[in-house]
Amino acid sequence: MCSTEKVTGKNIEKCIEYTESGLPKITIRFEVNGDQFEKHVDPTMTLLQLLHHELKLFGTKEGCGEGECGACSIIMNGKAVNSCLVLAAEVDGAVLLTVEGLGRGNELSILQQEFIKYDALQCGFCTPGMLMSARSLLDRNPEPDDDEIKEAIEGNFCRCTGYVPIIAAVRSAAKREREELK
Amino acid sequence: MLSKFNYVKPETLEDAIEFLASNPGTRVLAGGTDLMVLLRRNLLIIDHILDIKGIEGLDRLEYKEGEGLYIGAAVLVNEVFESGIIQEKYRALSQAAGHLASHQLRNRATLVGNICNASPGADLSTPLLVYNAMVHIQGPEGKREIPIEHFFTGVKRNALKPGEIVTAVTIPDMKEGDSSYYKKQARVKGHDLATVGMTIRRTAEKETFVAVAAVSPTPIRLHELEKDLKNRTFTEETALWLKDEVKKHVFPITDVRSSMEYRFLASGALAKKIMTAMMEEGVE
Repeated sequence: MCSTEKVTGKNIEKCIEYTESGLPKITIRFEVNGDQFEKHVDPTMTLLQLLHHELKLFGTKEGCGEGECGACSIIMNGKAVNSCLVLAAEVDGAVLLTVEGLGRGNELSILQQEFIKYDALQCGFCTPGMLMSARSLLDRNPEPDDDEIKEAIEGNFCRCTGYVPIIAAVRSAAKREREELK
Repeated sequence: MLSKFNYVKPETLEDAIEFLASNPGTRVLAGGTDLMVLLRRNLLIIDHILDIKGIEGLDRLEYKEGEGLYIGAAVLVNEVFESGIIQEKYRALSQAAGHLASHQLRNRATLVGNICNASPGADLSTPLLVYNAMVHIQGPEGKREIPIEHFFTGVKRNALKPGEIVTAVTIPDMKEGDSSYYKKQARVKGHDLATVGMTIRRTAEKETFVAVAAVSPTPIRLHELEKDLKNRTFTEETALWLKDEVKKHVFPITDVRSSMEYRFLASGALAKKIMTAMMEEGVE
């Protein structure tokens, strides 16, 4: 929708997109898994909805939608966050990493390989969030002990496999990354 | 979908305050970890969200010898937790920050947001209370500072007037020999709200500060108890005495997290544990 506005005495034509409820959309530019995007979003849209509805990236899951379960964890500007609690408008200028960005093409990352090896998933709904919390841990601490692994995934709920194989997978991935990615 | 609101991100404090003052249906957004939950549940209907993260200077976290600590309104809980100087000088604050929710939430939540939310069980409230922190407020009528103890006015209520925002929290410098310890009782270790949260601080001159959360409508200092403790040495006997004495100074209720009776017991046990831990470190 275009409207003519008076700005400091001059008539300037402004093109603004509006949402269905009549609010001006917010323009955001951001990076996801190495790709650049520009989107015009509803101010009430969450980052999780942006990933699902605008980018069609469905790897990130919605569990509780209130920051309790961690299924929607992604890495934003190097920090693990719950994407359900971030507004899409807030990611202007941000660099995001989601579960789709962990592997290379058809090759899974070491962390993902170890989750499979240790049977660290059953239904798999918590797995993308677990992987992102673990990725964020290994980025800031390549040699975590079990307590540090537990602390890193304290905000990620698993309701079927249980945490023991997940902790083992992260421990093993840390070791392999130290050996293989020097 | 969240209810309908507009999103604004001013670049200066003046613009933010002007917007707040002229748009009463506005809520301030810092980390959003409390606000987004209220919006999602439609417990809060607002017209505008004002994101303060674009305002210069609000992300300042700085320690100056002789002056103390400055924590801007956009400083993250994880930044407080990981700060070397806070671990060294204001340990209870670092401990409390490390116990707040989960790693992901600590990467979004801010210290100032935690106190503005004014939950009776606010994790960061008790260390700030024992350190006599000051809350820096700016509004349409200018700047003011109030002690943290006067900031909490009721359950989820704070001393801010319409149009005002908290710009920072400051904490005085601590002298040599100042020791503080925080402990939290919760149903599970890790991501959970406090059943009771408590901090005890003891200066080299044996001046003692005790603050407790989740056992009264607001986080509180236990002034009467503090006077008593100043004249006592930290010993096993004192710890046992404290365990019973604390119960006379708190006002817990029964809620979803625990019963009133349990909170009385947990307050006493927590106080004893904290004093014991401090004694093990040589505090007398």
